[in-house]
Amino acid sequence: MIAVSIAAGSLIIFADRSQAADRDGGAQLAAMCASCHRLDGGDGGIPTILGMSPEMLTRAMLAYRSRERPSHIMRAIALSLSDEEIATVARYLAALNRQVRP
Amino acid sequence: MKSWTRREFGCLTGAMVLAGLGPRSAAGEASARVVVVGGGIGGATAAKYLAASARTIEVTLVEPKPDYTTCFFSNLYLAGLCSLESLTHGYETLAHRYGINVIHDFVTAIDPIAKTVGLRSGRILPYDRVVVAPGIAFNYDALAGYDEAATQVIPHAWNAGPQTQLLRRQLESMEDGGVFVLVAPPNPFRCPPAPYERASLVAYYFKQHKPRSRILILDAKDSFNSQDLFLDAWERHYPGMIEWLPAQFTGGIKAVDLRERSVKTASDTFKAAVANVIPPQMAGQLAQQIGLVDQSGWCPVDPITFESKLQPGIHVVGDAASAGDMPKSAFVANSQAKACAFAIVEALTGSERVSPHLFNTCYTFLSPDDAVSNAVSFKPAAGTIKIIDNFVSQVQESAETRHRAAREAQSWYAAFTRDTFG
Ligand SMILES: Cc1cc2nc3c(=O)[nH]c(=O)nc-3n(C[C@H](O)[C@H](O)[C@H](O)COP(=O)(O)OP(=O)(O)OC[C@H]3O[C@@H](n4cnc5c(N)ncnc54)[C@H](O)[C@@H]3O)c2cc1C
Repeated sequence: MIAVSIAAGSLIIFADRSQAADRDGGAQLAAMCASCHRLDGGDGGIPTILGMSPEMLTRAMLAYRSRERPSHIMRAIALSLSDEEIATVARYLAALNRQVRP
Repeated sequence: MKSWTRREFGCLTGAMVLAGLGPRSAAGEASARVVVVGGGIGGATAAKYLAASARTIEVTLVEPKPDYTTCFFSNLYLAGLCSLESLTHGYETLAHRYGINVIHDFVTAIDPIAKTVGLRSGRILPYDRVVVAPGIAFNYDALAGYDEAATQVIPHAWNAGPQTQLLRRQLESMEDGGVFVLVAPPNPFRCPPAPYERASLVAYYFKQHKPRSRILILDAKDSFNSQDLFLDAWERHYPGMIEWLPAQFTGGIKAVDLRERSVKTASDTFKAAVANVIPPQMAGQLAQQIGLVDQSGWCPVDPITFESKLQPGIHVVGDAASAGDMPKSAFVANSQAKACAFAIVEALTGSERVSPHLFNTCYTFLSPDDAVSNAVSFKPAAGTIKIIDNFVSQVQESAETRHRAAREAQSWYAAFTRDTFG
């Protein structure tokens, strides 16, 4: 619950930023995710994060941050990102279509 | 994995996530030129993210080899658990999907005043920025009796490809009961856990095929990365098979005798059935040649843009860079390359960038289904790069946790190589 309200807060902060800046920021942050998560819709064991709702992704990140969900890697990343950055990348990834390759 | 990459060819993979990046210029606007030197992990990632982030930047990647074999997972190949083919990746996708001008040639000079890159073929490439990612070179002066020619008899296998193949063939033809002598290098070197992962996976191979054989690690150091995890695993999986001798015990490694296939330390001479000597390392030769290194032998860089502190306009990423607390790993090279690419795009196009996030993640195999991981985050601070958080596997973890890490490592390989080459 706290998680979602933090994210909602950042959404408001971002509302007056230009969409292009948000998209570039989201893409730059998503580039970091791409070192482990396939961003092509494929799902080879490390779960896909494409097309996930921003609320779900934000909640997951905060669960990693608080150690409620265990993972070294996701914990390091969740601790390194600000709430605002999590919201930005979550919005960006949600907007990408999940398109599984043939 | 080469054929796999070809099959992927032309589809949207990877390009999708980058589709939103970068400013769009009016048609006909003059391009800025970036030349990337070295198509390894650092160079390929930098070229891809530069090309995908800004259409106004013309990206050229210079790499002598027609394709690239990853060092990561090459220890699995030594154990007979995968083919070298499956670890080999071509540059076709970078050329075709991202429009990168891939040139298979060797960079012999960089002129930072004229802003040109000179190739062995005689071609001269002008640039606005250049990214140098030549990886490592070996300091053969540091080890008597071991030089470039000696690597054909006693391989280092610290660049993947023919060297790894040679070592595998020697292991295959070794008789049961022989000693495999592995010489581990002093810090800093490419991939701190990798010599010990290699010992673990060679032990796995011996256990299956040559159970009377032994492994001797002669270390230039007195301790090593994740030592407790390795010692615990060696006890559990390969009892009595692996012996580790630190420098304080041997007095240090003094010389290699090619004919005898032996390694001399201050206290003893150790004869090997198969030897694997990993020499001391420094930044790739080109970096030495064009004045990018300081007295440490590595390239000092700005912690945010990865621009050389010694030569303006030249950026250095990957193993060659001296980047504070960041170790020399493929994950780090990939992470630095993205930060560097976004900084160059900002400098050349004036677009906005977010503050860089730098990470390292390493999966290390102790046996085929026992793997450990670590994850570290870094932050530019006080002119260098500092560790923020560091999470590592623990000795007491369950077999299930370790098994899961091994499976996750396989998925990571697929995602990571696609992020870099596809
Ligand atoms: C056994 C082993 C296991 C490893 N396991 C892992 C692991 O599990 N995880 C991990 O993250 N890392 C791992 N690593 C480390 C990883 O391989 C390196 O850190 C990584 O390759 C560094 O990337 P780089 O781009 O700096 O150099 P490289 O990948 O070595 O690329 C350098 C490239 O530059 C080219 N080049 C050099 N000079 C020139 C020139 N003058 N002109 C043009 N091109 C040039 C070379 O041909 C080469 O292709 C491992 C390493 C080893 C040895």
